[in-house]
Amino acid sequence: MSVILSLLLAIPFVGAIITLLMSGPREKLAKFVALVTTAITLIIALYTLTLGPSKYIDLDENFTWIKTANIQMNYALHIDGLSALMMFMTSLLVFITVIFSSTETDRPNYFHALLLAIEVGLMGVYLAADYFLFYIMWEVTLIPMFFMISWYGGPRKHYSAIKFFIYTHVASLVMLIGIFAMVFTAAHNGLANFSFIAVKNGFGGSALLQTAIFGLLFFGFIVKMPIVPFHTWLPDAHVEAPTAGSVLLAGVMLKMGSYGIIRICIEVFESSVLYNWQTVMIGLGVLSMIYGAYACIAQTDLKKMVAYSSVSHMGMVLLAIGCLSEIGIEFAVFQMFAHGLITAVLFMVCGLAGHNIGTREIPLLGGLAGKLPIWSFFMMFGFMASLGLPGLVGFVAEFGILYAFWEILAKMGGIYIVLIGLGMLSMMLTAGYYLWAMQRTLFGDTTDKIDLRSIHDVNKTEFIALSIVSCLIVLFGIWPSLATNVITSFSGGLL
Amino acid sequence: MLDYSWLVPVIPVACFVFVGLFCKKKPQIGGYIAITGAALSCILASIISYEYLTSGYYSSNKAFTMAIEWIKIGGFSINFGIYIDGLSCIMMLFASFISTMIFVYSLGYMHDQGEKKRRYYAEVSLFLTGMLGLVISSNYLEMFIFWEIMGLCSYLLIGFWSFDHPEAKEKSSAAKKAFLVTRMGDVCLIGGLFILLWVFKSLDYNALFAPDAIKAVTNNEYGVQLVTIASFLIFGGVIGKSAQFPLHDWLPDAMAGPTTVSALIHAATMVKAGVYLTARSFPLFVYNSHMGEQVLLFIGVIGGFTAIFAASQALNNMNIKKVLAFSTLSQLGYMILALGAGGYLMCVGIKNGNEGLIALGASGYIAGVFHMLNHAFFKGLLFLCSGSVIHSTGTEDMRLMGGLIRKMPVTSITMLLGSLSIAGFPLFSGFWSKDMVLEAAFGPFEEGFGFGSVFCVLFLLGLITAFMTAFYMFRMWFMTFVGEPRENAQHCHGESPLSMSVPLIVLSIFAVYSGILILFGLGYVINESLISSGINVEKYSSDNIVMTIFSNQWTYISIALALIGIFIAYLMYDKKEINPGILNKNGKSFVYRLLADRYHFPQIYDHTSWGLGYGVARVVNYFDRNVVDGTVNGLSNAIVESGKIMRKMQSGFVRDYARYIIIGVIVLVSTLFLMFLTGGFQCQ
Repeated sequence: MSVILSLLLAIPFVGAIITLLMSGPREKLAKFVALVTTAITLIIALYTLTLGPSKYIDLDENFTWIKTANIQMNYALHIDGLSALMMFMTSLLVFITVIFSSTETDRPNYFHALLLAIEVGLMGVYLAADYFLFYIMWEVTLIPMFFMISWYGGPRKHYSAIKFFIYTHVASLVMLIGIFAMVFTAAHNGLANFSFIAVKNGFGGSALLQTAIFGLLFFGFIVKMPIVPFHTWLPDAHVEAPTAGSVLLAGVMLKMGSYGIIRICIEVFESSVLYNWQTVMIGLGVLSMIYGAYACIAQTDLKKMVAYSSVSHMGMVLLAIGCLSEIGIEFAVFQMFAHGLITAVLFMVCGLAGHNIGTREIPLLGGLAGKLPIWSFFMMFGFMASLGLPGLVGFVAEFGILYAFWEILAKMGGIYIVLIGLGMLSMMLTAGYYLWAMQRTLFGDTTDKIDLRSIHDVNKTEFIALSIVSCLIVLFGIWPSLATNVITSFSGGLL
Repeated sequence: MLDYSWLVPVIPVACFVFVGLFCKKKPQIGGYIAITGAALSCILASIISYEYLTSGYYSSNKAFTMAIEWIKIGGFSINFGIYIDGLSCIMMLFASFISTMIFVYSLGYMHDQGEKKRRYYAEVSLFLTGMLGLVISSNYLEMFIFWEIMGLCSYLLIGFWSFDHPEAKEKSSAAKKAFLVTRMGDVCLIGGLFILLWVFKSLDYNALFAPDAIKAVTNNEYGVQLVTIASFLIFGGVIGKSAQFPLHDWLPDAMAGPTTVSALIHAATMVKAGVYLTARSFPLFVYNSHMGEQVLLFIGVIGGFTAIFAASQALNNMNIKKVLAFSTLSQLGYMILALGAGGYLMCVGIKNGNEGLIALGASGYIAGVFHMLNHAFFKGLLFLCSGSVIHSTGTEDMRLMGGLIRKMPVTSITMLLGSLSIAGFPLFSGFWSKDMVLEAAFGPFEEGFGFGSVFCVLFLLGLITAFMTAFYMFRMWFMTFVGEPRENAQHCHGESPLSMSVPLIVLSIFAVYSGILILFGLGYVINESLISSGINVEKYSSDNIVMTIFSNQWTYISIALALIGIFIAYLMYDKKEINPGILNKNGKSFVYRLLADRYHFPQIYDHTSWGLGYGVARVVNYFDRNVVDGTVNGLSNAIVESGKIMRKMQSGFVRDYARYIIIGVIVLVSTLFLMFLTGGFQCQ
């Protein structure tokens, strides 16, 4: 039995403990510990990813953790095409944020401990093969993020942190009810085994019951994604969160929601139940996509705009999942991956606006391309990637998702085919808000509303962090099969 | 060498990366690298074209293709490959050649731009990659990728001066407008691709253009509908990219970029991509035997209308670059008109099995592509000439020029040659192709089909456009180069440096003579791309083309109209015998103002985008903050408030608790009692 997957959890955990203890004069060294820890995790994650889907089965770990006469909970880890990508992205983005936040001077030991703790939770969520473990890890991600926002956040950090915590916690309680309902429905011979496989094999019951349980779980997940109308915690949390927090929040934490939908809702429930929910999924997905895009246009805070663009892009993920087709799932996962990479750049850029320029308010900016060329380059790059410029990773995802949507519509025929216009509208709006934002910040007359002497361009570590992610955006944009080969090993034959 | 065709777009992209990363210290070196790259591409394109045209593929009327799988979408794979036929050879050659000339010219024109040159040379190289990649792509998605890369580059280059420049604001909004308006077309195009992918299960040209494939999918009504919608959507992309009515208005604004960029956009890349796409998708349109006629009629109408619509706006524009921009729009309209009319005939011909009609349609196709080629040369030349004028006078306003012929002989002579060419002066390149275009537009009427009368109108509009073209081009030439030197012309720097005048001379040779190529088998090469995509056209022969052209009475009419146009311009702006002020009431007449306001299109765009974009967005944002978030906050407040109320119940006095207990008991008992009465309890 291999221990690689456990290492992915254990190494950041150890790192978190060490950095936590490095108070006093040693706190300056915390970033190096964090860097080494996350680098090792990244190397292991990369190694695991490159093993190839056929070898993933060898990495399974399964121990009974709590066992009574009626329930059994396991420490079970499993990896497949879906979790491999998410795991890779988690380790990558945490690594990137550690590099990026090397200039953090406010209690750096706690800061890095929180980052590593989030990594443990995220890894756990993506690798868990047991509902109990999954739920614990789900909550584990929440707490360090709460402190991240409320200790290192902006002016309204307490409001946002509490809102973030309560909102998503209530949702996860609903999800927990769903999990219990599902596990106990699947109980076999009076023994409720929480492992994924046991539940998947044993789950049944009437269509009504299944539909209801699906609803509970689905609610929990879409709040996390977030999907309109349960999204308002996200802009608030992002605006106040520190850059590292935002990158992880948008890059990998939102994906927990869509991961949950695919991993639990899609994999476990019968297709008839899924089809009952299809209209809701597609409807909410399209709503989020368009609504988020429109909301972006009206924002004046760069970071808030990017936060709403996440709503829009995660709406695309839900839309793709809702298509309930192989292509849909494939590109939903691809979009999760693509969006993780792209938002990392976007939030780093927005964070830099706050740090290096002093404000993120679009009306105060203007003509910065001449003053801050490197920052402007990355901002433009990120925006272009996010609006789906071919050659970058976002385009492949967008094309696949809208095609999956089109496939559904074309099969229905008749007047429904014009609904693809909604997809096209969102593409148009996305281009609109990004271009408009760029025009007002980077181009035009140089602003006189801020003190231009105090602004400075991207520093070395930030440049490295941005460059790594940008290179990956280009790499996967030109060569998407690198990722899709992993994904199809999972999505093929799922439905 | 054919196997190495992929190098043609890869060389400029390598230059892009190299210049972008390593030429920070010495941006001028970037220029030499970009030129070398473009020239290498051009040489390679020539070798490849030569090899293709002498190979077995060409003689057996087959396109040369090769592909590797790029990504699998569901069950079908999307390839990345190359597709070489007569059309792509021509496109590849003129795009790389003209770009090389423009890059050489940039050495002089952009000389004083300092370190911005690095960005400039990197971006123009990428721009060239976009075009070259587009023309050798082997499927629609690959084409779309390069199509969008070109969109990006045009955005960056039109907005070249959108910061650190006195007019940064206008420049940046012009760039944004260009990107968003063309994006509108792109979005349509991608919608079309979804449909094609779903219907054909592939986006490869090879798979789509097989006659059997199209017949197979259009054998039911739904298939016909979808293919027709896809055709319209693809043409929507063309409308955006090639700036046809009603998405035309970004092109005049795109003059905000450096003149070399305008030359690149108008002559070698960008707007030619739309025409290329129409030509490339020809089989898709003409094989749709149920609805293809309507699609092609639509294409023809848009083209013909744009031609005269744009030409009219060039009549009274005072900005030398904008006159040229409108003339580009108008000439693009010609190309689209020729393709539409030719396609229409071909579609009818295929439906009825009439080979004569198919051949006639093919000549429309050839006219469109041929005009694109000629236009590339003369429009590239004209823009570079105007750049030379702007470079030495420092203004774009023709009212401040005049009399430059003495100070800038090379520029004025080459520009004269270009103007004669675009005006269709006999034996200049524009003459041949314009005549073929008009002939093509007249075809459907001559043959007497249902929509023939529409094409007849388009043909007449085309004739009027020819007159207008001659007039406004020579108005421009006379205002700039003859007469009294006005303000800026008096202190002009004189003739431009060699790096600028040599490309002018080279291009002017091509601009004058490229038309003659039609006599030496060019039509045959273009036609081959139709045959290789499965359309059963007899081989084109250029033997009696001179006879056809000169035995047609319309040729003489169009020549006469062109000459009249030139003559009127001469009377008005050189001899000053007619005062244009009388005609337009000194710029106050309704028509004059309408034209000067560009038919209010800029305002229409602004209002539409403002209303549909920002207007809705503000409503959504208000709703989001107040209704959605308001509910959430309201809910949490309600819980907190109710907690505050409940807290008061914990008074600590026994009598209060006793009261609650008694109330509770009463409620409980009465409920049970009521339920008992109403039969709530059923004894099992």
